[in-house]
Amino acid sequence: MVCSDMTEYISHSLQDTERIASEIASELSGTEVVAMLGGLGVGKTTFTRGLVKAFGIEEGVHSPTFSIVNEYLNGAVPVYHFDMYRVSDEDDLYSTGFYDYLGKGLLIIEWSENILDYLPEDTLFIELSYGEDMNTRIIKRK
Amino acid sequence: MYILSIDSSATAASVALSEDSRLVGEYFVNTDFTHSRTLVPMVESLLTVTGKNISDVNMIAVNNGPGSFTGVRIGVSVAKGLAFPAEIPCMAISTLESMAYNLTVTDAVVCAAMDARRNQVYNALFRIKGREVQRLCDDRAISIEELKNEITAVYSTERVILVGDGAHLVMKEFADTDCSVELAPEALRYQRASSVAAAAFDHIRQGEEPQSSAQLLPSYLRLSQAERERKEKIESNK
Repeated sequence: MVCSDMTEYISHSLQDTERIASEIASELSGTEVVAMLGGLGVGKTTFTRGLVKAFGIEEGVHSPTFSIVNEYLNGAVPVYHFDMYRVSDEDDLYSTGFYDYLGKGLLIIEWSENILDYLPEDTLFIELSYGEDMNTRIIKRK
Repeated sequence: MYILSIDSSATAASVALSEDSRLVGEYFVNTDFTHSRTLVPMVESLLTVTGKNISDVNMIAVNNGPGSFTGVRIGVSVAKGLAFPAEIPCMAISTLESMAYNLTVTDAVVCAAMDARRNQVYNALFRIKGREVQRLCDDRAISIEELKNEITAVYSTERVILVGDGAHLVMKEFADTDCSVELAPEALRYQRASSVAAAAFDHIRQGEEPQSSAQLLPSYLRLSQAERERKEKIESNK
């Protein structure tokens, strides 16, 4: 289920962020596109780890900054984890094979800011930002 | 002349063996992007059941795009790899053109359209008269609306048949117009290796030289380039 209205969560720790992610994961069927918005160190990979775990995948999750996409195929659904940090236009995006993955599993996209124009209309956005103190994060889903 | 032909430009993959224009055998699977694991075994198995060896093959023909990035790369890589050791001549065929060969002997304009996302298709138009396939425009990335306008303006008096995985999208665009276009029957709608061979054989008959495995390259249509050019055109018309 993808809601169009916005929900806001507050996280006070890495564990919190993972828990919120798994809560959101429970509403996903496993073919959605989840696009993450937010700068360096804000918790995109931690959130992704929570999502991936929720689908029964125990592999170590790390940002595919170099490889562009990590595939986690040992869970309930295939999960494809993209990092679009180095992708700047549609030619780049096409050559990541992104369009070949759409609909084939859960797509989690870090640095989705770089490809906003090319995301499917029903993309679920997760926006992470810093809170009042060092450990607090605001997680908005829209 | 034995032609081994390969298509893996979208979700389906197929290989065929033809002797000139006669189809000797064909292998087709549609199992969603397993090409990297299935294509080579398909070639192997096809050669086995037809009692041929790769050394009997005189030419390898492959759909080299447009299409899925991964699919096109796998097809071209397999063709290059098979051709390289004995330097079997290669022929690159446009995916769109190969689909037009599905409909030879119909007198019609064939509009080949592959879904390029966001209301765009990879497209080319062909006129078929008997066995002859005549190309009417280069392969291009075009908005479905623009394509509709062109067909309505130029080909409205002719029979227009749609092929490709974007055919239904184009069909939809015509829903509220007077211009009638037809969807090719399902069995003839998508790219497949036997049509790649038919196109390649025609190219040879018309005197085109095959390529070496090193010359064989994928040909991606660059969407953003098409978009940029279109934007520039719109800007300059203001």
